[in-house]
Amino acid sequence: MRRIWHSPRYLVILTLAVALSFVFFATMTQEGQPQKLHVAVVDLDHSYLSRRLCHELEATQGVTIAAVYDNHTEARQAMQRGEIFAFYEIPAGTYNELLQFHAPRFCLYTNQSYLLAGSLSYRQLATMGKLAAGAVQREVLRKKGVKDDAIMGMIQPVALDTHPIGNTKASYCIYLMTTLIPGIIALIAILHTAYVIGRERQERTVKSWMRKAGGNGLKAMVGKAFPYTCYYTMLLVVANFIMYGPMGMPFEGSWLLLTLHGLLMITAGQCASIFLMGCVPDPSVAMSLTSAYATLSFTMCGFSFPVDAMPLPMQAFSEVFPLRHYFLVMRDIAFFGNGMEVLWPQTAKLVAFGVLAIIGSAMFNRQFERRTAC
Amino acid sequence: MLKRIMNNIKDTWDVFAAEVRRVFSDKTTIVIFFLATVVYPPLYYYIYHLEMLTEMPVAVVDLSQGKDAKRFVHKLDATPEVKVAYRCANLADAELLLREHEVRSIFLLSKDYDEMIAHKRTGTVTVVTDISSFIYYKNALMGGSNVLLDEMKTTQLVHQAAEGVTGVQAEATIEPVGYEDVKLYNPGGGYASYFIPALLMLVVHQTLLFGICVLCGDANENRKALRLIPPRLRSRSVYRVTLGRLLCFLFIYFPITLLDLWIIPYLFGMPQLGRPLDVMLLVLPYVIAITCFAMTLGNIFARERLSMLLCCLFFSVILFFLSGVVWPQSNMPKFWYVVSYFFPSTPGIQGFVRISSMGATLHEVRHELIALWLQAGVYFGTACMSIRFIKRFRR
Repeated sequence: MRRIWHSPRYLVILTLAVALSFVFFATMTQEGQPQKLHVAVVDLDHSYLSRRLCHELEATQGVTIAAVYDNHTEARQAMQRGEIFAFYEIPAGTYNELLQFHAPRFCLYTNQSYLLAGSLSYRQLATMGKLAAGAVQREVLRKKGVKDDAIMGMIQPVALDTHPIGNTKASYCIYLMTTLIPGIIALIAILHTAYVIGRERQERTVKSWMRKAGGNGLKAMVGKAFPYTCYYTMLLVVANFIMYGPMGMPFEGSWLLLTLHGLLMITAGQCASIFLMGCVPDPSVAMSLTSAYATLSFTMCGFSFPVDAMPLPMQAFSEVFPLRHYFLVMRDIAFFGNGMEVLWPQTAKLVAFGVLAIIGSAMFNRQFERRTAC
Repeated sequence: MLKRIMNNIKDTWDVFAAEVRRVFSDKTTIVIFFLATVVYPPLYYYIYHLEMLTEMPVAVVDLSQGKDAKRFVHKLDATPEVKVAYRCANLADAELLLREHEVRSIFLLSKDYDEMIAHKRTGTVTVVTDISSFIYYKNALMGGSNVLLDEMKTTQLVHQAAEGVTGVQAEATIEPVGYEDVKLYNPGGGYASYFIPALLMLVVHQTLLFGICVLCGDANENRKALRLIPPRLRSRSVYRVTLGRLLCFLFIYFPITLLDLWIIPYLFGMPQLGRPLDVMLLVLPYVIAITCFAMTLGNIFARERLSMLLCCLFFSVILFFLSGVVWPQSNMPKFWYVVSYFFPSTPGIQGFVRISSMGATLHEVRHELIALWLQAGVYFGTACMSIRFIKRFRR
């Protein structure tokens, strides 16, 4: 504790790091979903139809026409330069074929190597394609004398009505921040714990540290980590409060449960860090391994790529990351409003991380005794 | 003149040799440089190699029990995206399954579904879906809309036939103008093909950055930053020191980078549309820019061996977002867009993704190349200045 007081430098820097990440994600994704994605049209037809399509695309919120090209190659190169994410190619003679009732077809190219921008612009452009077909169909039906209210059922006999739970507008801000911010706080807590333990070893002050803890490795480790547990849990509570409070993110369940699991996640992360620092004798190497472990947790928590889609050994491996359990708990509490009857397996698993701390301290104890015996 | 040039080369060579020795005598740097770069790419490839989620379990509540509704459910089960795992009698049962995560979505067909279709009105299918991972949402939406499009066509053909319009004429009536969709570069929309190329570049960036910062931190911590410069060079120009060190990291990292960016993807059968030469020409300024950037940061800020690792690891997540692979560059706030170009990772990742996944040539990535060479030049200057900074403050 005294050490923190004497040099609060890292605590200040790391708190600023959390604040920076918070502001970064909040400002970066404030649109919710990317709007006005850049797309293009290759207009070989130069007709009423192609110009009308351009106008209607321009009028949608999701995409904007960055350019109109005269040939396919120019559009492809623009895509490779990253200037556009999708383009329509309207072949020459499309409008004439339409008038002759020959059911012309145009092409929709999307760049799927940017998954988000590619699929969003695909959805917008595909919808426009369907609407264009619907508009023509409506004109034909009107001319046949069908009434307007009957036309809708004929053009669209089936409709989907989608309701995502919690995040009703499918906002990326809610999706990313609710997991990434706690993830970053946990990552920093894990590293900071590893760092302070490693520092004792590097400065060869282990002896006096152990003497204060009465020669008990576990006591020494817990005493060292505890102030950080409190501090980072407090940061997490503040971050959650801002997200679910003033920022208006969906929250259905109990605050107490979320805070409790936040505390458990930070503690579990610190236990894993004690384990790694205890097992690997060289503090710098141990710290590098801890960093690798902490970074992997963003992938293994399964918020971007679900754990169900990973190979089986990786599904089992995901259990050793506290963030994975926190992510499941957060989803249950904030989006589904579930209580302990659903959460308890995750709670139990997070508590079980304590075993890692006990093993880590035992290893540390043994190394310490061997060294003092020498 | 010739003697001066020879002297310069000799000085640079001395620094180079000393630095190589230092890298190979430090355990942490070996772990970061050689272990991380070899372990991370195959591990990530293994995690993502199934590319997408298939047969996601869903529950269907069919209140109509009519023939059109049954056909919808049947087709839904046949899509690769979802699997009808439960058929529930009412919504409450299905909701319970969703709450317990036995299923990821519920498809509810209203009681009047068949009746509406028979009366040429719109029948509605309500989808309630878990969105904790966007892939669940995407699967429910994709599976649902593919069936929807097919059902629309089937129903409209039936309606047309009832009015005596059949064959080609009916097809042209229900789809007077259509589109073919061509998904370029990652036709399956797979996660590995999208994520791994960007990740490989980031792994190179972060390991090199942290490795160099550990070395600089070590020198600063033990007050030997000056001692590491050969005595002859201490009072003279600093560019030879920077150049020697740069050559050392280039010598070590250029092969590692090519292994990560070309050989490992090749071994795992990842798409590689670009030419190897183009990749090399992109990697060269990339490694130079990162090295000089890292030396600048390390010399000035790394006061201890591990301080940079502690303070900057969280930045990996931010760098990934700044690169514009997830959130498109055109949609970033101007401020973050400008900030993103301070880091070599942004043009590096953009350039590599375009060459490797999209088959771009150097001509298409010229902006990124220019940005990387500019960064390399500027950061070389700042790296030289940072050594001067050490000289002044640490002597």
